[in-house]
Amino acid sequence: MRRRKLLPKVLVGSVVGLVYLFLLAPVIVVAGASFDGGKSVAGRAFLQFPPSDLTLYWYENIQPRLWEALGVSVSVAAVAATVGTVLGVPAALGIVRSNLPGKTLIATLFRAPLQIPFIVIGIAFLQTYYFFADAVGFGLQGTFAGLALGHVFVATPYVVGSVGAALQRFDVRLEEAALSLGANRLTTFRRVTLPIIMPGIYAGALFAFMVSFGDVPISLFLASATYTTLPLEIFHGMEFDFDAAVLAISTVVLLGSLVVLYFIQRIVGLDVLLRSGGNG
Amino acid sequence: MKANWTLVLLPPMLFCFLLLGGTQFLFIRAGFFEDLGIGLIGDELVFSNYVTVFTDPFYLDALILNIKVSSVVVICGLLCAYPVAYVIARMQSEQWAMILLAAIVVSSFVTIVIKVLGLIIIFGSDGALNRTLLALGLVDEPLKIVGNAYGVVVGLMHYVLGFMVLMLFSVIQTIPRSLEEAALIHGASPYRMFMRVVFPLSLPGVATSALIVFNLCMGAFVSAALLGGGRVLTLPVVIERAIVLDTEYAMGGTLSAILLISVVLINILSIWLLNRFRKARLVIT
Repeated sequence: MRRRKLLPKVLVGSVVGLVYLFLLAPVIVVAGASFDGGKSVAGRAFLQFPPSDLTLYWYENIQPRLWEALGVSVSVAAVAATVGTVLGVPAALGIVRSNLPGKTLIATLFRAPLQIPFIVIGIAFLQTYYFFADAVGFGLQGTFAGLALGHVFVATPYVVGSVGAALQRFDVRLEEAALSLGANRLTTFRRVTLPIIMPGIYAGALFAFMVSFGDVPISLFLASATYTTLPLEIFHGMEFDFDAAVLAISTVVLLGSLVVLYFIQRIVGLDVLLRSGGNG
Repeated sequence: MKANWTLVLLPPMLFCFLLLGGTQFLFIRAGFFEDLGIGLIGDELVFSNYVTVFTDPFYLDALILNIKVSSVVVICGLLCAYPVAYVIARMQSEQWAMILLAAIVVSSFVTIVIKVLGLIIIFGSDGALNRTLLALGLVDEPLKIVGNAYGVVVGLMHYVLGFMVLMLFSVIQTIPRSLEEAALIHGASPYRMFMRVVFPLSLPGVATSALIVFNLCMGAFVSAALLGGGRVLTLPVVIERAIVLDTEYAMGGTLSAILLISVVLINILSIWLLNRFRKARLVIT
């Protein structure tokens, strides 16, 4: 009896272990290899994991181009998250609270950008900018606004989704209580509704930020030589000529994400992300 | 006061729907112009690009490869993610469950290109995996993973496993543990209990997550382009090449439209099949 129970347990246990190894290893390997001195083969540096010698050489040699790209990535993601929140919060309130006919259809259409492959979104925006350049002599191709608009498009559904989920759990009696105790509508919203849906807003904005920050396929078509994002730089680096400093800046980004996640855990708790992650 | 919320909804709705409708309409329309190559397109709306796509085996193969790779990833993904989600959902210690979930969240938060970079270092012909296997004497020559379809499957698995575990976890969590205990007390073996109680109850969630992951894989570009080493031509990779390398803007539009339409069609088809399946089962029981 014991034996029959042991085998499935070992099997399931090893699957779980392997999945975690598979999920976490690439991250650890990138961080580890960035400290490797590297061997030079035909003028190109090949880094390995585990590192053979520890050095900060690649960190000192991160090109200004990569730092600039990181700056663009952070700004685009910040714009996408902010505009996405400004659009998404009222949209979610409207969808959950109003009694318009066809509410399900409206909600589906708000979620539609997430069903479209990102590469198709990139091309669609590029074609649209070209169309306007042709028709009125002014298109957004290659501009920061054009890049950001494409990111706003995919960022908004995340905010709508997570704020919508928070509103659906919301107990309307709390608002009724505030109103009956003499608060006006604005005060009720500001002091009761907003604080309660705030974790949902944080989670949505954060998802929006991360999706925008990590994106390659949309930026691939909307970025230009002046405005290029870090993931795009890393992507081109891997496709054409590999610069080992890419590992160093990736590690900087990894540390940044860990710090962000740490603060989220401290402020609202990671489970907020879990609860609103599924319906994105 | 109800009109209030409609007013709140209208501005973002107009903006988002205009953006959605406008961009989608313009790019689908763009795909109907004749592609003259080197960035030039014709003036009239014609079907020539569509005819080219459906008669040239190069494009059809790309679509078929895309569907094949995505299906393999969905199946392997379910096989790997289900046990993990089940173990976390049924964990005795809540703290451990939280730690395991947090690890998944952390890994899915990392920018995809960085993860692909790590995967290439691990799975490359001179990578950590191959060096370990060679040192252990398990293989005689390095396994070729990066640069072919296996590499793309590995990359896509990495892309979707985290989502899948989180989605399946939230499904399995809603199945009461008492049902499992009841089955076990009445003499069902753990295997039988799983196949007859837990799995059927989680099936709707499994189907939904499979569909979402299939969509993600069909449109996945980064893993396909980098882990395929430019040799695995799935549709997103072909689209990128048409536009960036060959400046065939109209053709790129046509191919994107076909990718979009095939994703939508496959979704509608599977939802229809699922509903039929559900109805059929209702008739039997």
